[in-house]
Amino acid sequence: MRKLFMLVALLLVVAGVACTAAPTPAPTAAPPTKAPAAPAFRVGLVTDVGKIDDKSFNQSTWEGVQKASKEIPGVTEIKYIETTDPKDYDKNIAQFADAKYDVIVTVGFALTDATYAAAKKYPSTKFVGIDQFLSKDKDHPDWPLSNLVGVTFDEDKAGYLAGALAAQLSKTGTIGAVLGTDVVPPVWRFGEGYRAGAKAINPNINIVVVYHSDVGFDKTFTDPEWGKTTALSQIDKKADVVFGAGGKTGNGALLGAAEKKVFCIGVDTDQYLTVPEAKGCLVSSAMKLLTPSTFNMIKAAKDGAFKGGLYTGPVGLAPYHDLDAQVPAAVKTKIQELDKGLQDGTIKTNVAPAKP
Amino acid sequence: MSLPRFAFILLTVGAIIATAVVIGGAQLPAALILVSMIRTTLQVATPLTLGALSGVYCERAGVVNIAIEGMMLLSAFFGFVASIYTNQAIAGTEITPTSTALSLIVGVTVAILIGGLSGAFHAALSVTFRVNQIISGTVINILAIGLTGYLNRQLFFQGQVPHAPGVLPTIHIPVLADLPVFGKIFEQQLIAITAIVLVVLTHFVLFHTPWGLRTRAVGEHPRAADTVGINVFKMRYANTIIGGMIAGLAGAYFTLESVPSFEPLMTNGRGFISLAAMIFGGWTPFGAWAASLVFGAAQALQINAQGFGIPVPSQFVGMLPYILTMIALTGIVGKTSAPAADGIAYEKTGG
Repeated sequence: MRKLFMLVALLLVVAGVACTAAPTPAPTAAPPTKAPAAPAFRVGLVTDVGKIDDKSFNQSTWEGVQKASKEIPGVTEIKYIETTDPKDYDKNIAQFADAKYDVIVTVGFALTDATYAAAKKYPSTKFVGIDQFLSKDKDHPDWPLSNLVGVTFDEDKAGYLAGALAAQLSKTGTIGAVLGTDVVPPVWRFGEGYRAGAKAINPNINIVVVYHSDVGFDKTFTDPEWGKTTALSQIDKKADVVFGAGGKTGNGALLGAAEKKVFCIGVDTDQYLTVPEAKGCLVSSAMKLLTPSTFNMIKAAKDGAFKGGLYTGPVGLAPYHDLDAQVPAAVKTKIQELDKGLQDGTIKTNVAPAKP
Repeated sequence: MSLPRFAFILLTVGAIIATAVVIGGAQLPAALILVSMIRTTLQVATPLTLGALSGVYCERAGVVNIAIEGMMLLSAFFGFVASIYTNQAIAGTEITPTSTALSLIVGVTVAILIGGLSGAFHAALSVTFRVNQIISGTVINILAIGLTGYLNRQLFFQGQVPHAPGVLPTIHIPVLADLPVFGKIFEQQLIAITAIVLVVLTHFVLFHTPWGLRTRAVGEHPRAADTVGINVFKMRYANTIIGGMIAGLAGAYFTLESVPSFEPLMTNGRGFISLAAMIFGGWTPFGAWAASLVFGAAQALQINAQGFGIPVPSQFVGMLPYILTMIALTGIVGKTSAPAADGIAYEKTGG
């Protein structure tokens, strides 16, 4: 009897493990077969350990791929692999590369080296590395590669605008920011840009910036409970604008702000559309336009216009939506001025590209 | 629970909170930091307190419950699913005060029931079939990760997902919440307050009722309990199910009280931290609560220290409670030990 039950228990464990593996869609479950001879054009996407439905970063990139499949004739097949363990980056990229996908999009700073290695190994496949800054150095001696584009964004500029907006809206003189880990350069640029923008408006403003750097990559962007706790702690200390930037962790901060009825600012995409629960507090979002950037890269690859190297995607603030009436006209004008200044280079954020 | 240890734990909480006040004092009024620290500590400690209480019930009856983490995760998921579909059934795509209230009640109930169900499963494996209790608990943990991850993908990734009805309300406690400055401490949501009530209740049940005496008897010496006519199996089943239900309430904290959304693995190991808190607290309700506060205060300090721009690595602050747990386990500050029959399956014949 006891043995029987150990067996049952063992089976349950196996079933459990099978379930864990199952969420990863088709490619892992059933490796794609060899490419058909027809002029198929296939795009694969490998996420970072965040989730594809994170309502911000991975999702926007995936939407760019989806847009490509809808709008570019000839893009026949799109698939994604969700990475669950940072050790699997190479394996996941190889699944698409071995199946001779035409374009492979890898999402996130953490995949930089894996993407570079894959681009060297599979010279006939085009690679798009989102948030991946590359330069010729000892880790990447052959940069630039003709089949690899590193797409980066000036997150510090978007963060700067968010900070400037927050500083102008704050009545208490304290503003907060809740972010993912500062080890990821785009997150760092958002956070420090926010600080710089707020200081530019009001040098005496009290800015509380908290990064979720105390946990690993696997948790830092998927911890909404921590995000909310941190936002509430900042609101306790009189913060009346909270910038939430870091996948679902940041979304948690937006929800905390919504609950306490203070302003909040989203990140990456226009989060008015992706986090409806925060509509009441969301005054804007610091956007990096991932969807069009991804789309453009795929289009270039399809049209044969793909050039290796770096590509800087556009950034900006999202519309004010429901809170439009609460943003004074003078503030709007100021934001427009700053946006223009940042774009033509007359205003500098002075934020280092990565945490020193 | 020896008094020196209890004092040691509470002093630790005080010291952590005082640290925050000292390092932030240059930037903000001390009272503001103090209030914020205590409020955050209580909030963060909520799921840990409940998890630890779950462990107290189970282990006092002699069943090691390593599955608290899995039970929390299952309840968080199913409670959330129940709440959003109830809301949809009542109000469609709208969110009205009535639909919110009803769906939250349904959600919390489902979370508690799912917790109880997984407790019953754990009891069936470990009491009736005498499977090694660590194995049984591990099975539940792995099953919870797989099942919730899979269903989450199936239900929420494609198509239209019903809106979440929101989170449990903040309770206005008369008198306490009206205090000047310090009233903010008591601005807590429903489950956070329930957790504290349950601590007191559990203490009373365990140490001042016949039920508690029987529970402790089957955890310390089941054979002796059996000879005086206590049904060991029944007591172990009942307490494991109660423990599961409390773990279920802890699960509800994540998706129905904190944020109205579910994330795979969102319990982030808090079930295991609860176990540490329970041991740190010497298998007593008040000890477990105090130990949970240590973990809560450490996280509150971490959040605050960074906000103040103090360059202490946040990982170091996060490590603190574990170091304290190890110190407590060495027995330097008051000795406690696990119930004698903890983790040992009871067989009526033989042995």
